[in-house]
Amino acid sequence: MQVETFYYDNRIVKNFAFATLLWGVVGMLVGLLAAVQMYLPAANFGLPFTTFGRVRPLHTNAVIFAFVGNGIFMGVYYSLQRLCKTPMFSKALSAIHFWGWQLIIVSAAITLLAGYTTGKEYAELEWPIDIAITLVWVVFGINMFGTILQRREKHLYVAIWFFIATWVTVAMLHIVNSFEMPVSLFKSYSWYAGVQDALVQWWYGHNAVAFFLTTPYLGIMYYFLPKAANRPVYSYRLSIIHFWALIFIYIWAGPHHLLYTALPDWAQSLGVVFSIMLIAPSWGGMLNGLFTLRGAWDKVREEPVLKFMVVAITCYGMATFEGPLLSLKSVNAISHFSDWTIAHVHVGALGWNGFLTFGILYWLIPRIYQTPLYSKKLAGTHFWIGTIGIVLYTIPMYWAGFTQAMMWKQFTPEGTLAFQFLETVTHIIPLYIVRSIGGLLYLIGVFVMVFNIVKTVRAGSLLAQEEAQAAPLLEDTPVHGKEYWHKWIERRPLQMLVFSFILVAIGGLLELIPTFLIKSNIPTISSVKPYTPLELQGRDLYISNGCYVCHSQMIRPFRDEVARYGEYSKAGEFVYDHPFQWGSKRTGPDLARIGNKYPNSWHYNHMLEPQSMSPGSIMPSYAWMLDDPIDTASTPAKIRAMQRLGVPYPEGYDQVANADLMKQAESIRTKLAADKIKTPANREIIAMIAYLQRMGTDIKGMPEATTQQ
Amino acid sequence: MKPFSLQLHKKLSIATILFLLLFIQQPAWAAGPPVPSEMSNPIAQLLVGIIVALLLIIMLLAYVVLGAAELYLERYQETKKAAKLLLLTGMILGAAPLYAEQTAGSSEAVVKLSDTSLYTLIAVILVEFGTIFYLLINLRALLSKEKAIAPSAKPSFSFSAWWEKFNRFKPVQEESNIDLGHDYDGIRELDNRLPPWWLYGFYACIFFAVIYLYRFHVAHTAPLSGEEYQLAVTEAAADKEAYLAKAANKVDEKTVVYQTSPDYLAGGQKIFSTTCTPCHLADGGGSVGPNLTDDYWIHGNTIQDIFKTIKYGYPEKGMKSWQEDYTPAQIAQLASFVKSLHGTHPAKPKEPQGILVVEAGKSTADSTHPAPSADSLVGKPVTQ
Repeated sequence: MQVETFYYDNRIVKNFAFATLLWGVVGMLVGLLAAVQMYLPAANFGLPFTTFGRVRPLHTNAVIFAFVGNGIFMGVYYSLQRLCKTPMFSKALSAIHFWGWQLIIVSAAITLLAGYTTGKEYAELEWPIDIAITLVWVVFGINMFGTILQRREKHLYVAIWFFIATWVTVAMLHIVNSFEMPVSLFKSYSWYAGVQDALVQWWYGHNAVAFFLTTPYLGIMYYFLPKAANRPVYSYRLSIIHFWALIFIYIWAGPHHLLYTALPDWAQSLGVVFSIMLIAPSWGGMLNGLFTLRGAWDKVREEPVLKFMVVAITCYGMATFEGPLLSLKSVNAISHFSDWTIAHVHVGALGWNGFLTFGILYWLIPRIYQTPLYSKKLAGTHFWIGTIGIVLYTIPMYWAGFTQAMMWKQFTPEGTLAFQFLETVTHIIPLYIVRSIGGLLYLIGVFVMVFNIVKTVRAGSLLAQEEAQAAPLLEDTPVHGKEYWHKWIERRPLQMLVFSFILVAIGGLLELIPTFLIKSNIPTISSVKPYTPLELQGRDLYISNGCYVCHSQMIRPFRDEVARYGEYSKAGEFVYDHPFQWGSKRTGPDLARIGNKYPNSWHYNHMLEPQSMSPGSIMPSYAWMLDDPIDTASTPAKIRAMQRLGVPYPEGYDQVANADLMKQAESIRTKLAADKIKTPANREIIAMIAYLQRMGTDIKGMPEATTQQ
Repeated sequence: MKPFSLQLHKKLSIATILFLLLFIQQPAWAAGPPVPSEMSNPIAQLLVGIIVALLLIIMLLAYVVLGAAELYLERYQETKKAAKLLLLTGMILGAAPLYAEQTAGSSEAVVKLSDTSLYTLIAVILVEFGTIFYLLINLRALLSKEKAIAPSAKPSFSFSAWWEKFNRFKPVQEESNIDLGHDYDGIRELDNRLPPWWLYGFYACIFFAVIYLYRFHVAHTAPLSGEEYQLAVTEAAADKEAYLAKAANKVDEKTVVYQTSPDYLAGGQKIFSTTCTPCHLADGGGSVGPNLTDDYWIHGNTIQDIFKTIKYGYPEKGMKSWQEDYTPAQIAQLASFVKSLHGTHPAKPKEPQGILVVEAGKSTADSTHPAPSADSLVGKPVTQ
C-alpha cells in the first residue's frame, strides 16, 4: 500500500507549552499574593487594582483558563496529530487559536484588575471578551474537527472522545451562562436574576470544573500516561463505560453548590444524588490510569514524569471522592462557605491539573527539542517540593475550614452564639500563614521546573516539523484488533459530537427549564422592590470590587445563621438581582441582611479603615471610595438595561433616575453629617452605603412573607 | 456444566445480596417515623450509617467467600465435595434474607417509640455482626480446607493475592490474551474486566440515589431544608429553656439589678472592650454610638433600660440586638458596667445626645447643664 509522508507541527505545541509555563508562574504568583492578603491586609497596597476582591478572580481565571487552558491545548495539539496520523488541519487556525487565546488572557487580566467584571465566579469576563472566547473556541473546534476528519486512523482513540465532549460542552456552558445585557462597552447585567442566575451560574461553574479541568485532562492522561509508562491502557471497556457515564452524570451535579440555599429543594436533591452517582465514573478514569501502570511500578520509582502522573491521578481520585461527600447535605452544611472548599479545589488544582501538566512538560519538551532533560534530579526535587507544598497547603485549609465552621455553629448552653464572627476569623489566621508557605513551596518547585526546561531548551533544538508516515485511510482499510459495537461510533466523529451534546444537554435542560418556567419555584414577595438608582450604583461597586469573593448574601436555614444574620433567605428576595451575589465563601460575614444593622457612619468608618470598627479584621481598606465620584453618567443606561431585563421601573424613569439618586445621596450625606462625617453627596461611598443599608430589608417587618402564585 | 452453574449461582447470589440490601435498608429508614424527627437524631443517623457500612462489608465478604468457594471448586471439580460446598454457600446466602424479613417486620411495628427504634437499629446491627461472623467462619473453613488439601499453596494470607482477586486482575504475563490489538500511535489497549467492587459500587450509588429521592420527595420521611430548620429551632428552644430553668440564669429586663462588685463589673468590662468599643470607645466617650458617661440618655439610664437596649437593640438607630450573642447573665453584667461608666471622664467625650437624666446626688462634674432641683428626684432615677 502507498505510504504517505507528512509532518507533525511541533511549533504550535511548543508555543502552548511556553504559554502554559508563563501563565502558570503568573497565576500562582497572584495566588500567593492573595494568600498573603488573607492575613496581611496591608498587602492590598491600598489600591483598587491590587485589592483581594480583584486579585482572587485574576488568580482563578489565570490558573484555570491561562495555565490549565494552555496546558489543554498543548496536550491536544501534540496528541491529536499523532492519534489521527495527520498534521493539524490548518496552521493559520492554530496560530489564530494560540494568539487569540493569549490576547484574551491579557485583556482578561487588565479588565479584571480594572474592576470590569460580571460578578459571576469563573465567568467574570465582560461581554466583549466573552464573544472573543466564543470565536476562538470555534476556531479551535474547526481546527480540531478538520484534523479528525482528515485522519489516517479509522477509529478515534478514547483521548479524542474526551476532547470532543470537552469542546461541545464548554461551548454550551459558556454561551448559556454568558447571556448578558450590555450597558456599555465594559459593563453588562446577567440575563438571569436571583435563583435562576444562581442555578445557571453553578451549572456552569461546576461543569467548568468538569469539562475544563477534568475531561480534557483525562483525555491527555489517556495519551501521555501510556506513552510515558510504555504500558497498554488497562481496560478499553472501562474507558467506554466511564466516559459516557461521566459526561452524562456530571452535568446534573451543579446544584450541589447551592445546597440549603433558596434554590428549590427538588433541584438540590438532584444535585446530591447525581454527585453520589458520579463517584464511580470519576474513579473509572483513576483506575484506568493507575492500573495502566501495573507492571511498571519499578519505573515509577525512577522516572519523575511517572511520579508526577501518579500523584496527579491519586489527587484526582481523592478530589472526585471528596466532591460527592461534600455534596451530602450534612457535610455541605459544614464545608460550604468555609476554607474546606478551598482545600478541596486545591487538591484538584495543585495535584491533578498542576502535577499532570508538569509530568507532561517534562516528557514532551525533551522530545520536541531532541535532547534529554537537563536534569532528572532537579525534576525529582521539583516533585518533592511540590508534594510538600500541596500537603502544607491543603491540610491547614481543611483544618481551618472545619474549625471555623464548627465555631460558627457553636452555641452556649444558654442558647447564644458562642463566637462572634470575627473571633472565628482571627482563630484560623495561623493556618492561613502556613497555607501561604505551602503555596510558596509549590511555586518554588515551578521555578525549579522553569529553570530545568530553559536549560533543556537551550541544549536542544526544536524539531518544528516532525516527519511521520502512514497509509491513507481508505474505505476498505482493515480494522486492527477486535470489532466491538462501540467501534461504530469511534468511526464517526460527528455522531460522537452529536451524541455527547445530547447527553450533556439532558441534565442541563431538565434542571434549568422547570426552574425558569414553573412559577412556584420562586414564590414572589410583594414587598420586594427594584433597587433605587443610588443602590444600583452601589451594587455595581460591590460587584466591581469583588465583595462577593469574601461575603455571601445567602442565609441558610440553620439555627446559627438565623441567630447570627437574621431570617433565612427566600427565593423571592432576589428577583431583581442581575446578577445574583450569593457568593461561595465567607471570609467575612454574610451580608444578606446587613441593611439597617449598623449606622451609616459605622459603614463609612469601616470602609475607610475596617480595623477601627472591627479590631482584628482582615478586610482591606476601601479608602478610594471616599474620594471617587459616582459615575452618574451611566445611570440612565443602567436603568434602561434593567428595564429590558424586565425590572419594573416606570416608563421613562431613566431620565429622572439621577434626580432620585442625588436626593437619596443627599439624605445619606445629611445623616453622616449628623455623626460629624463631612463628605460630598456624590461619592462612591454614599452609593455603597445606600446599597448595604438596603440589603435584605425588603421583607423585614413582615414575618410571614406573602407568597403569590 | 459445572462452571456454568457456578457462574449462574454467583450471579444469583450477587443479585440476592443487592436485594437483601434493599430489604434491610428499607426498614432501617422506615424505622424513622413519618415525622422526620427521629431520623434527624444523630444517633439514629449514626446507627443507620453503621448498618449500611456493615452491609457493604457483608457484601464484600460474601463476595470473597464466593470467590474462595469458586477457587476451591476449580481445583476440585472432579470431587463430589463441590455439591456440598454449593449447598454451604447457598445456606449462607439463604439465611440472610430471613434475618432481613425479621427485621423488616419488627421495625415497622415500632414506628413511634424512639426507644424501641433504637433497640431495633441495634438489633439490626447485631444481626449484621452475626452474619459477618458466620461468613468469616465459613471463609475460614474454606481456607482451611484449601490448606489441608493443597499444602503446596501459600499458607498465609497474601495482600497482593487478595488485591489481584479483589480487582479481578489478569496476571501481567497473560496480558497478550486480552490485548485488543489496537495501536494508536503505539498505544495498545487491553480488555480487562471491570473491577467488581467498582461496578457494584456504581450500582450501590445508583441505588442510594433512588432511595434518597424517594425519601425526600415521594415518601417525605426526611426533612427538607425548611423543615430541618424548624426541627433544629424547636429542639434548641427546648434545650435552652431546660438549661435556663436549671442554671438560674433567667435574668431579664424586669429582674435585672445593678451590681457594683469589682468582679462582676470586670466581667462586663471584658465584653465591653471587645464588642462595644468600636462605636462607644474604650472609655465610653462615644464615636459612632453615643457617649455613655454623661447625663444624657437616648433610651433611658435605669439598669432595666440599659439591659433592654443591649438585649433588643434599636436597629433603626444603629444599635444592634445582642441577645443572640450574649447570655442574659452576660448582658446583665454588661449593663451594670455601662451604668458604672456614668460620671467618669473620657478623653474625647462626644456631645450630649438624648434627654437629660439626673440621679439624685450624682452628676457628671463637668456638666455644663444645670441639674433640675434635686429634691424632686430623690430616691430613684427619673427619666424626663
